[in-house]
Amino acid sequence: MKRWLSSPLTGPVVATIVVALLVMSTTNRFLVGGNLNNLALQVSIVALLAIGSTAVIFIGGIDLSPGSMIALLTMILASCLKFWGVGFWPAILITLVLGAGIGALNGFITAYGRIPAFITTLAGLSAYRGIAFMFNNGSPVFDASTQLEPLFYGHVLGIPLPFFYIVAFFAAAHWLMRHMRLGRAIYAVGGNANAARLSGVNVKRTQLYAFVVAGFMTAVGAVLMAARLNSGSPNYGTGLELQAIAAAVIGGASLSGGRGDIRASLFGALTITIVQNGLNLNAVPTSTQNVVIGIIIVLAVGIDMWRDELSRIALFARLRGATARNDVNREGEQK
Amino acid sequence: MDARDGIAWELRGIRKTFGPIVANDNVSLVLRHGQIHGLVGENGSGKSTLIKTLCGAHRPDSGAILREGVPVHVDNPFIARSLGIATVFQEFSLVPHLTVAENIHLGRWPGPFFSLGWRSMRDAATRVLDSLNIAISPDAVVRDLSAAEQQLVEIAKAMATNANVIILDEPTTALGAREADHLHGLLKRMRDAGTAILYISHRLDEVVRLVDVVTVMRNGRVVGVAGETSLDLSAIITLMIGREVHEHYLKTHTEPGEALLEARDIATDRGVRGVSLTLRRGEVLGLGGVLGSGRTEIARALFGADPLTRGEILLRGKPIHLRSPGDAIAAGIALLTENRKTDGLFFNFNGTENISVANFKDIDRGFWLDLRRERAASREFIGKLQVTPEAEAQLVDRLSGGNQQKLLVARWLYTGADVFIFDEPTQGIDVGTKVAIYRLIDEITAAGNGVLLISSEDRELLAMSDRVAVVRRGQIVRIAKASELSKADLLGNAELGTAAA
Repeated sequence: MKRWLSSPLTGPVVATIVVALLVMSTTNRFLVGGNLNNLALQVSIVALLAIGSTAVIFIGGIDLSPGSMIALLTMILASCLKFWGVGFWPAILITLVLGAGIGALNGFITAYGRIPAFITTLAGLSAYRGIAFMFNNGSPVFDASTQLEPLFYGHVLGIPLPFFYIVAFFAAAHWLMRHMRLGRAIYAVGGNANAARLSGVNVKRTQLYAFVVAGFMTAVGAVLMAARLNSGSPNYGTGLELQAIAAAVIGGASLSGGRGDIRASLFGALTITIVQNGLNLNAVPTSTQNVVIGIIIVLAVGIDMWRDELSRIALFARLRGATARNDVNREGEQK
Repeated sequence: MDARDGIAWELRGIRKTFGPIVANDNVSLVLRHGQIHGLVGENGSGKSTLIKTLCGAHRPDSGAILREGVPVHVDNPFIARSLGIATVFQEFSLVPHLTVAENIHLGRWPGPFFSLGWRSMRDAATRVLDSLNIAISPDAVVRDLSAAEQQLVEIAKAMATNANVIILDEPTTALGAREADHLHGLLKRMRDAGTAILYISHRLDEVVRLVDVVTVMRNGRVVGVAGETSLDLSAIITLMIGREVHEHYLKTHTEPGEALLEARDIATDRGVRGVSLTLRRGEVLGLGGVLGSGRTEIARALFGADPLTRGEILLRGKPIHLRSPGDAIAAGIALLTENRKTDGLFFNFNGTENISVANFKDIDRGFWLDLRRERAASREFIGKLQVTPEAEAQLVDRLSGGNQQKLLVARWLYTGADVFIFDEPTQGIDVGTKVAIYRLIDEITAAGNGVLLISSEDRELLAMSDRVAVVRRGQIVRIAKASELSKADLLGNAELGTAAA
């Protein structure tokens, strides 16, 4: 019980359950097979992007570029398939390698160029979407390939494929973070970069690798995005980077680095998606949805930050009721 | 002096518990105007809890706080400040890029809300600095000041609130001997002007020299109060740790063997200006000198943390090129850094992870870390160094300074290094841990490895070293057997700087 309470997953899991219960209380269309299926599809891209965003947040950085990278990578993937005569699987491979490469570029500029991650990826946010517009005269590429859609809409054993992607990539990410040297180095660099260097950790290389992870996961997200819509477009992915960061933050990742559990970001993504889904089912307009998401981000981080204060208030209220105040205090009050 | 006379503050029967832990048990303390009151005790003896109670950070479970005989409630730090309690904590609370005047008035700007009131701020700061006889310009930017000067500004800041009692928690940790003397001069002047001063320090010899009364705490209780007549160092140590300590410094002399680490005319951009030294097997080579003389920078150069601009380093007789601390660790060099918090500990890691971080090669199996091996190794060192067993699975921010330091020592022992560079290894830790570290240094040399010891505690440096190199301005001005040097030599040589390396 105690262990369960102190687990970093508890908060985000509870948040997910609470929003699910809230949504269920407003509509009976939530807990329906079709809707849950839909939910798994909706959450998948944000959740997979959140793996990368969380890795970068763990080293004390931030990645603003995934949304624009998705635009660029869907354009390249769709162009490969439709115009350039690249085979299906080679095109997927090119997209993934390119994603990792762009991540490496972000990481290289940040780590070795000593430019803050926020600035590097803000530049990327602008530039990568700009490059996306240079393909196909800036027009979307529709009907890229008949093989694409099954990647997203396919089922195995009646379960949608994105569900398996989520399980596989989160399992791998968790293994990387908790059972591999790179993950430990990422936590070390995020916790105390000075101490990490003086303990023999290659700080710059670790930062670079975190961005490579982020770039690769963005490419995975881009493939799914292209598959979902069977197309590439320079307008895809707008604002997705912020949803991925929100998922990480709701999951409890500390923006100062070094703290958090990557699995929790999945529940962060679920929380956001369930809220959106619930509001959609209740026909709430998008503008209101965005406000609600904003409030949830503040509350989620706030409850985490104020945890000490909240428990102290609860404890204090109990003590007040239970014990009489001592003599000295009373004496002091009379003065 | 009459017993009731001149009492500024009194703590009476303070009890404070945290869950099952009794941090303070019936603690009483009397602070008088015009008196410097020392408070000593090992880490975890309850000193910090007591100070925090007095300055409003904790509420006592029972007991009273009296100001000039009148019971008061010090419910929070703001009330404490308004009642005249000023605190100077271990860590500097100054904002580096603001001026001295701005720092002194930080958060209490004299102007209305749309203006900071620059002129009155500057004038008031000048008055405070003048009254304390501190020769620092109110317009100086704090970043440009030395550690010692910053400490003085810190005190000026505390005094600017019209304090009637000032609490100093380990104020000399970052200061060299001469700077500490300067600070003590200031405190004595403040005392003579009638301020009550509570002085907490691990440097017992300086406590003995400075204070008028000393209260000794152990396990949350006051175990002794010594007045002016009976301030005896060994008596205080005995009270603190509850047993007689015959040998404060343990030192077995080992016959030095072959050269282990050798520096030939090395220099770095950070202030090492041509240093040659040889550390032999079985030897403790001390680096003495005042603060900022370049000792830490020499350590960093030998550890690959700063690139060499000239010269070479030889390890076991062979030239070695260190591009990073990682190279140095792989070659068998360890550096226990001066500053635990900024350069040593990972506060997001538990004790086990803090130990293993410098020795991944022992647990890395390619696609996974051997966590069982990691746990076994950390357990071994936690046991060997008598770190509290909780450290194994607990985040290290909740551990005492002594336990934290032991974990860092464990980190380096685990790497299996044979050159150990210890930079201020006993800074800010309790006597018990100090003795453990002395014993460890002794074990390291007995096993035929070498220790480069940097310490600002002169007695410790002279007692633990075989030879001492005196450093001044990034150069070694003298190397001699420790037995042939006196404290005055460490200072004197550093001052005169006869360039005879």
